[in-house]
Amino acid sequence: MNKPEISNAFTTVGRETPQINAIEKVLGKAVYSADMKMAGMLHAKVLRSPHAHARIVGVHTEEARALPGVHAVLTGDDTPTRMTGIHHKQHRILAAGKVRFIGEEVVAVVAEDEETARDAIDLIRVDYEPLPEVFDTGEALRAGTIEVHDGSGNLACEYNVVRGDVDAAFAQAALVHEDSYETHSQYAGYMEPMATLAWRTSDGRLHILTSTQTAFLQRMRIADAVEMPVSKVRVIQATVGGGFGGKTAEECNSLICAWLATRVDRPVKFVNSRLDDFQGCRSSPPEKIWIKMGVDKDGIIIAKEVKIVADCGAYEGLAGHVLQVSTVRSDNMHRYLKNVRLNGKLAYTNNPPHGALRGFGGPQAAFALNSHIAVMAEKLGLDVVEMLKRNAIKSGDTSVHGFQIGSSGLSECLDQVSDGIGWDSKKTRPKDIGVKRRGIGFGTAIHVSGNREMGNWDGSTVIAKMAPDGRVTLMTGECDMGQGAFTMLAQCCAHELNIPLSQVTVLPTDTDMSPYGHGSIASRVTILAGNAAIKAAREVRERLLTLASEKLGVPKEDLDMANGEVFAKSPAPNQKIPFGDLARLHIYRAGGEALQVTATYDPPTFLAMATPEQYGNVAPGYSFAAQAAEVEVDTETGQVRVLETFVSDDCGKALNPLAVHGQTCGAAVMGIGWALYEQMRYEDGRLLNGNFADYTMPTADSVPYIQSGIVESMEPNGPYGAKGASETAIVPGAAAIANAVYDAIGVRIKTLPITPEKILAGLRAKQAAQDASGASR
Amino acid sequence: MSKKTIEVVVNGRTHRAEVPARRMLSDFLRDDLFLTGTKRGCETGVCGCCSVLIDGEVIKSCLSLAVHADGHEVTTIEGLAVDGVLHPVQEAFVNHGGLQCGYCTPGFIMTTVAMLNDNPNPTEDEIRHGLNGNLCRCTGYVGIVESIKAAAEKLRGN
Ligand code: FES
Ligand code: FES
Repeated sequence: MNKPEISNAFTTVGRETPQINAIEKVLGKAVYSADMKMAGMLHAKVLRSPHAHARIVGVHTEEARALPGVHAVLTGDDTPTRMTGIHHKQHRILAAGKVRFIGEEVVAVVAEDEETARDAIDLIRVDYEPLPEVFDTGEALRAGTIEVHDGSGNLACEYNVVRGDVDAAFAQAALVHEDSYETHSQYAGYMEPMATLAWRTSDGRLHILTSTQTAFLQRMRIADAVEMPVSKVRVIQATVGGGFGGKTAEECNSLICAWLATRVDRPVKFVNSRLDDFQGCRSSPPEKIWIKMGVDKDGIIIAKEVKIVADCGAYEGLAGHVLQVSTVRSDNMHRYLKNVRLNGKLAYTNNPPHGALRGFGGPQAAFALNSHIAVMAEKLGLDVVEMLKRNAIKSGDTSVHGFQIGSSGLSECLDQVSDGIGWDSKKTRPKDIGVKRRGIGFGTAIHVSGNREMGNWDGSTVIAKMAPDGRVTLMTGECDMGQGAFTMLAQCCAHELNIPLSQVTVLPTDTDMSPYGHGSIASRVTILAGNAAIKAAREVRERLLTLASEKLGVPKEDLDMANGEVFAKSPAPNQKIPFGDLARLHIYRAGGEALQVTATYDPPTFLAMATPEQYGNVAPGYSFAAQAAEVEVDTETGQVRVLETFVSDDCGKALNPLAVHGQTCGAAVMGIGWALYEQMRYEDGRLLNGNFADYTMPTADSVPYIQSGIVESMEPNGPYGAKGASETAIVPGAAAIANAVYDAIGVRIKTLPITPEKILAGLRAKQAAQDASGASR
Repeated sequence: MSKKTIEVVVNGRTHRAEVPARRMLSDFLRDDLFLTGTKRGCETGVCGCCSVLIDGEVIKSCLSLAVHADGHEVTTIEGLAVDGVLHPVQEAFVNHGGLQCGYCTPGFIMTTVAMLNDNPNPTEDEIRHGLNGNLCRCTGYVGIVESIKAAAEKLRGN
């Protein structure tokens, strides 16, 4: 959007701005779902399946029902027969007939308090008839294997994309290299476990206060599953204690709680224990990725073939979309790549279901791709940064899949990171030869800002209301999950009206009152809702100026506004009128109404997913990032420590550098955790480490001070040039670390996470190979 | 279930209450005293969301029984600001990117208050080490470390 000439002494755009709700958070006064209480509130708990695949043959609930304080014990047979899910509707609210993963919700108890509910759970007995199980994707897709869903052949979905002439391009390539990589599953790890409070009112409506990134998607899904009209279901967003993709329309805590509230006469609260959350969550899909890449003698990537098999787990959810991203998105980073052949398969297994997680398929692909490029750069004798820069897509390019790149700061990110970490000197210093050896590596990333995929609308609507005191209230259907989305909206509005940030209030999403929004996914809120907020505020501004002009008898061109007043610019006499007076005037006149504006921004993008070619510009902007990591590998223990890391994020324009740095650092640390030690460990589908002691997320002293740089490429479609900034930085880290490990010890880890065992095994194999070649000489 | 009467000073106010012997301090604070600023993130003593001070020492209230607070002084996140004026640690977390979603924040702030009482001028390593019992998924710890440095400086009177 073009910037009009306005004075904005009060602007915070581009300045470090604390979140508008930071004070309530440091006071302990922000209200999260689990903090809410209602008179007569009951508590829910669920019993989960201990079997990965089994028929439910009997559920014995008599003893639990008889326990004093128990209000309801409900099983899958009590749930509506309608199936729920994202594209494939595959399960009921509680499992009925069959369970397909360990942790699947089988029975729910509602009781006076949590302890009674827990005690009742212990009194329930379920008889299962175990069925054959499948956990490996390769086995799942082989003919003759048992089916997780009848008639599926265990193939949840498949993508095939071919562009250009791949074989001819391979034939021309100076170097062709192929290899396989494997990634594991990561848990969102938000500090607030899922929690919901649901109740019905006397008019029969169902109200759900929950921790969500996508209030409207939840409303749609819950209404559908409980068989109520959408207009009778209300979802209210509580303060959200982190989401990272894990609090979208896949999680089942809110669904179960909402349904339970339709079955008892009192409000029901359901708070996940951390174990519940681990077992019931949708973690990222593990992927096996095979890449074949052809480059010319200068390192220009000219051909690429990719085959991915991803583990869906028991139910599809969003895993299909995640796989689509892993399959195609990273190709769009390379400006000369025109020939690709891609195949992605998603396999059902009896593992717990996988789905959306920050980066949404990007980290998996980037790990494989950046590892692969590093290998090829070495073979070509090229500096990898130089190779990445030669291939980097530029502003104005259209990529192989039709992405129109309005702004790309990828090259600038590479330069900034390279300078920041001292790439040239670290790369050329003599190799360590002691027990502890340092190495350095690079990774790059692309991410979308918005993604046209739901219906043919990727818009966002903001309602701006001016109260008779001149303050502005904004309403949005997008959610603040802690990333600072509401602060960004307030900044845009305050900038346009030239008022202090404190004059703007942003209301949490309430589907009864807020305008519809897809929610906080696909890094879409800044670019889409930001533009909508600007549009709404400009209309408010226009109306204020029109009214003030009438009132003061001064032409509009001679008016300006600041600090909640419209005033006449010199040389006109010093006349002014407060916003509050104008807001009242807007109502109290014949034909008047309260000053309220609704504005929608729907970007000029294309619904590529719906076409067989899957070609076109899906997002109004694309964010880029580069990261370098310097590690130290202990060759005796196999421990890898990240000594230093520098991440640069091209977010178009940092509307709030405090928030952008915060997102970048948080994402980078989440990436380090995934690369090195966060792993959901399963044994025959059973999660072995569903707690924070055994699922080890990074602590403050396990990670270095993340150095974060911002590149401002000024996105033409962006609000003041901004793009999304919350996901890109989780994408490049694992590859940067793997490449650094290789640089340190000459061992390439192709299967994540990079554990001490794998390092030591790699060192032994390397030694054995050296000994063998020595012996044969 | 056996019950016990306890007398606890919480944020300067004396509370007498009858609590079940197995009631956790975190539950007592949140559910009986409605001090929901103290959070529960794991209830196994790892995440630190439930950190509060007992007689100035930081503890995990999800691991501590309410009866153990009998006769002691408890400070929670709600007890730090005086007459609406933020404690320097709270102020620093607001201004230096010490929080995003805010769920871990009460725990980090209480840990910091105790840390800076013991060591008013910690190095970055000491700060990071002192935060070992608290997890944050949002910030990558940079904003938290910056906040603590700023708070330490302010508390030292600089
Ligand atoms: S809730 Fe007490 S340490 Fe996590
Ligand atoms: S601010 Fe969200 S977990 Fe720390």
